[in-house]
Amino acid sequence: MKDLFPKQHVMGFGFSLLLTLVALAVIKFDMSYNMAFGVLLVTALAQATVQLVLFMHIGESEDKKTLYTTILYSVFVGVVTIIGTLFAMIWGYN
Amino acid sequence: MKIDSSLPLEYSTEENRLKIFGFWIFLGAEIVLFATLFTVYFTLQTRTGSGPNGAEIFELTPVLWETFLLLTSSFTIGLGVHAMRIGNKKAMMAFFIITLLLGLGFLGIEIDEFVTYVEEGATIQTSAFLSALMTLLGTHGLHVTFGFFWGVAILIQVASRGLNPQTANKAFIFSLYWHFLDVVWIFIFSFVYLKGLIS
Repeated sequence: MKDLFPKQHVMGFGFSLLLTLVALAVIKFDMSYNMAFGVLLVTALAQATVQLVLFMHIGESEDKKTLYTTILYSVFVGVVTIIGTLFAMIWGYN
Repeated sequence: MKIDSSLPLEYSTEENRLKIFGFWIFLGAEIVLFATLFTVYFTLQTRTGSGPNGAEIFELTPVLWETFLLLTSSFTIGLGVHAMRIGNKKAMMAFFIITLLLGLGFLGIEIDEFVTYVEEGATIQTSAFLSALMTLLGTHGLHVTFGFFWGVAILIQVASRGLNPQTANKAFIFSLYWHFLDVVWIFIFSFVYLKGLIS
């Protein structure tokens, strides 16, 4: 039974629950909007990393360099889409 | 077909390795798809018209349950892949079944959430904010629904054909998909719900 629950996975699960609780702090405690946004950004990125590395085993295949490049490039395109659009449509240029 | 027995079953042939590689490329495209949906949501977030805003309709308790169910399902499918690697078919199937049940629980809460919104008069046609919100949540929910049926199909194959390089490869690729849906949910949880509830 014990070999069905590898330590790495159990730790990963514990860590993701912990990160969810930390993220909840933004609505339980009074903090500035920037501070709250920062906490959410850090916890969400940490969650994504836990999933990618511990659960999806991104680093175990011999193609790992190409995989990291593909995922980072997709994230880059996504971030440019989001920030670029907000810049053009919401924040404006002064 | 050359089988390399030093590797886990799902990687054991050249074809299997390439299929996993190809699926990661697909996940890259999915990241961009969800990034565009988030873009639309962030852009139209304040355009609530005469309808409610996020803080007025979001409820923390069901959202926390959804998060907990999906996080746990991501954990159990990880255990399923681990059981598959040590050749324990029974445990692997049990973990996959638990995963799919947790996925169904998630969908149940999400459907209830949509019904509640519509009952409160917040439909997809009410405002640009709600259109963007429901498109984003709906696309994620549709992925989970599709994943449920995909998972059932894989369970049937594993049950009838056992664990071999083909079925193990399919099950592993499905686990990548399921973990990815959890990652997307984390961003929805943080930047749609929690962010909506503070501002």
